[in-house]
Amino acid sequence: MQRESGSASEPLIETSKLTKQFGSVIALSELDLRVMPGEIYGLLGPNGAGKTTTIKTVLGLLEPTSGWIKVAGFDPAKRPLEVKSRIGYVAENPVVYDSLSPRDFLAFVASIRKIDSKASAEMVSRLAEAFDMGKYFDSPIATLSLGMKQKVALIASLIHRPPVLLLDEPLNGLDAKSSRIVKDMVSFHAEKGGAVLFSTHIMEVAQQVCTRIGIIYHGKLIAEGTLDQLRSEVHREGSTLEEVFLKLTHEESEVVDTSRTLREAFFRNETN
Amino acid sequence: MKLIEAWRLSRIPYREVVYQSLAEEKGRMWWGAFGRSTPGKEGQDDLELAKRALRIAKFDKIFVTIFSVLVSLVPFGALLLGATGFGLASSVSLSLAVTFGLVTLYAIQTLSSFVGAKPSALLSVLPIGMDDLSVVTLFSFVRSVDYIVVGSVISQVIVVGYLTGSVFAALLMLVASVINGVFAVSIALWFSKVFQKNILRGGRSKANSAMRMFFILMWGLLLVGVGFLFSIPWYIVPAVENALVGAGAGLNMLMGLLYPFSTGVVVAEVVHFNIAFAMVVLASVSLAAYVLLAVYAGRWSLGTVKSITQDSGLKITRVETTDFSIKTRRPLLAYILKDLKTASKNPGTAFFFAMPVLQTLIITLFVARYVVLRVSLLLTSSLMGGVFALFLPLALLTVEGKGLEYTKTLPISSGRIMISKAIVSAGAYAFVPVVLAVLTLIKPLTDFSAIFIPFFTMIAVFNASIFEMALFFRTAARSRIASIVNDVGKLIVGLLTIFVPQIVYAASFLFSLSYVLSLALMGGTVLIELSLVTLILSRS
Repeated sequence: MQRESGSASEPLIETSKLTKQFGSVIALSELDLRVMPGEIYGLLGPNGAGKTTTIKTVLGLLEPTSGWIKVAGFDPAKRPLEVKSRIGYVAENPVVYDSLSPRDFLAFVASIRKIDSKASAEMVSRLAEAFDMGKYFDSPIATLSLGMKQKVALIASLIHRPPVLLLDEPLNGLDAKSSRIVKDMVSFHAEKGGAVLFSTHIMEVAQQVCTRIGIIYHGKLIAEGTLDQLRSEVHREGSTLEEVFLKLTHEESEVVDTSRTLREAFFRNETN
Repeated sequence: MKLIEAWRLSRIPYREVVYQSLAEEKGRMWWGAFGRSTPGKEGQDDLELAKRALRIAKFDKIFVTIFSVLVSLVPFGALLLGATGFGLASSVSLSLAVTFGLVTLYAIQTLSSFVGAKPSALLSVLPIGMDDLSVVTLFSFVRSVDYIVVGSVISQVIVVGYLTGSVFAALLMLVASVINGVFAVSIALWFSKVFQKNILRGGRSKANSAMRMFFILMWGLLLVGVGFLFSIPWYIVPAVENALVGAGAGLNMLMGLLYPFSTGVVVAEVVHFNIAFAMVVLASVSLAAYVLLAVYAGRWSLGTVKSITQDSGLKITRVETTDFSIKTRRPLLAYILKDLKTASKNPGTAFFFAMPVLQTLIITLFVARYVVLRVSLLLTSSLMGGVFALFLPLALLTVEGKGLEYTKTLPISSGRIMISKAIVSAGAYAFVPVVLAVLTLIKPLTDFSAIFIPFFTMIAVFNASIFEMALFFRTAARSRIASIVNDVGKLIVGLLTIFVPQIVYAASFLFSLSYVLSLALMGGTVLIELSLVTLILSRS
C-alpha cells in the first residue's frame, strides 16, 4: 500500500460542507465526512439519497458546487491525478472496456498506474484465483456476467494497493463465496491502515463489514456512528440496522402503510 | 401477428439498437465531462438522450441516403448529359455495384449492433411467439437500412425508366435493385456475424487477431472499390462498356455471367439490342440465377435473425487458464495499444485500420502516373494522405465507448490521451512520407528539399488531431452525443491545420521562387501550430 506523508491520525477522506447541485436538484447538502486510516465507513441510504454522488465527487469525477474535499491530503479539483493514483474505485455498475479481456484490461490499468508487471503479478494472481476467473481471464469482458465484471473491477481497484478504496455497491451480482472474499479483502485493507468508503443499501452488509456508518438521506448526512451509537440515537437497544435506518429516515410508518396497501392488493380477490 | 403490427412493434428493438450503437459512441458523451463535470449537465436524463440518439440516427440515415442516391446516379451522369461512348449496360452495372458497396458498408456499421446486442430481449419476455418475434426483429433490422435501400431502388428505377422510356426496363431495374439490396444486407449480416464470432472467441490465439485483420483488410478493399467507382466513373464506364458489348470473347462472356454486369446487360438489351446474342442469353440466365440466390440470401438472413432472436446465433468459447500474468507497459504505449485493440474489435471502427493501406495505395497510384515528382505533386499527395488521417482521431474517440467512464477514474490526463490518439493518427500517416521517399529513388524530383514536405505534413497531422480532439472536448460538453454533422466542423479545422502550411509554402514560392525559403516558412507554420498544441495540452 502506498504510504502517505500525513500521520495515521489524519483522515484519508475528508469533506467539509460538501454540496452538489444538478440544476435545481440538490444532490448533496453540506456533507461533512471524515474517514480515518483503518476505518471502513459505510455510506447507507435509500436509492437516490446521494451515495454515488458523494463517491464520484470524492473521486473528482463531479465538481462540488460548494465545500471542499481532501483525499490523502489532496484536493481532487486541484490535484486530480494525485487523488486518482491513491484511490481504488469500484463503480455501482462496473463499466470497463467490453472488447478487452480481463488480462488486457488489467494490464492496461496497471500500465496507466505505472506499476511494473512483477509488482502487480501477485495481487492479480491471488485475486483471480480466489475469484475463480480461470475460464474467463482471456474472454472478452462483454461476454462476462455482471458478477464476473464486478470481480474484474475489484481486482483493478486493488492492483496498485491504494490507501483509499471507494466501493459503490461492490457486492452487486457477486455470489456468496465472492461476497465473502470481498468482505475479507476490505477488512484486510483496513487492518493495513487503508480507508474504505463503502456505499451500500444492504443493511446486513453494512452491519457485518463497516466499522462506522453514515446515513445519508436526501443528500444530507442525518446520522453517523457505530451501530451501537446509532441504536442509542434512536433509543432502540438491540435493534437491527434496518430498524435503526427506517427509524432515522422516518420511513418506518411509510413501510407499514405500503405493506398494508400491497397486502390488500394481493388478496383483494380472495376477500371479495 | 399481423405484419403491420409487427412493423409497429419493430420500432422498440430498433430504437434499442440505435441507442446501443450510439451508446458505443457514448464515450463521446463522457468526454464532455472528462475529469470534472459542468453542474446541470449531468441532470440530462437518459430518456432525453435516447430521443436525441434517435433523431441523430434518423438524420444520419437521411444524410447517407441522399449521398447514396447521388452516388447511384453518378454512373448515369454522362448518359443524362448526352455524352456518347457511355453505355447503359455499364452504367446500370456500376450503379448497382456502388449501391451494393455503400449499403454493405452502412449496414455493417448498424447491423453489428444487432448481432452483438439482443435487440428483442425486451420483447422476448412478453407473451409473443418465437416466429412473430423473429419477424419483429427482422423488421427492426430492416428499419436500419430502409431509407438507403428504398432511396437507391427508387432513384435507379426512375433514372432507367427516364433514360430508356421502357416500362419493362424499369421493371427489370426494380428487380435488379431489390436483389442488390438483399445481397448487400445479407453480406453485411454475414460479415457482422463472422466478425462478432471472432471477437467472442476466448483465448490468446494470434489466429484470432490475424482473422480480424483479414476482415479489416477486406472491409478496406470494399471501401477502396466504392471510392474508385464513385470518383472515376468517367474512366471506368467506357472501359466496362467496351468489355460488355465487344466481341464475344471468353472473358467478355464471363463478365456477362458476373453480378452486377449480367443485370446491366439484360436491362440495356431491352432497349438497345446491340449486345451479342449469346451474351444476352447468358446474362438473362445468370440474372434468373441471381434472383434465386437473392431468395436464398433473404431466407438465410431471416434464419440468422431468428437465431439472433433466440439468442443462439453466437456461441461464446472460453479457454481455461492458470496463468494470470499481465504485461505492463509505459502509460502512453499502453493507451495506444488499448486503442488499437478496442478499435480493431469494433466493427464500426475497425475499417479505419485499413486507412493506411488505402491512402498508400491511392497515393502510389496517383503519383506513379507522373514522370517527374514536382513540388506541387508532393504538396497534393501529402494533403490527400492527410485527409485520410483526419478521420482517425474521431474514430479513436468513438472506440473509447463507455470504457472512458472508467478511464476517467485513472490517473491519466486528457492531454495524455489526446497525445496517444494523435500519435496513432500521425503514425498511420507515416506511410505517406515513406512511400513518397521511396518514389524519389526511382523518379526525378524537382528540388530535393521538397522531400521534407510530407514529413512536415506528418507533424501537421499530429497538430490537426489534437485540434480536432480539443474541439471535440468543448462541443461534447454541450451536445453529449455524436453525429456526422457534429464531426464536420472538427474535420474542417483539422483540414485547415494541414492545408495552411501548404498554402504558406505555395504562396511563398510564388513570391520568392525559392524552394528552401518556402520549406522554411512551411516548417515555421507547422511549428506555430505545434506551439498552440503544446499550449492546449498543458491546459488539459
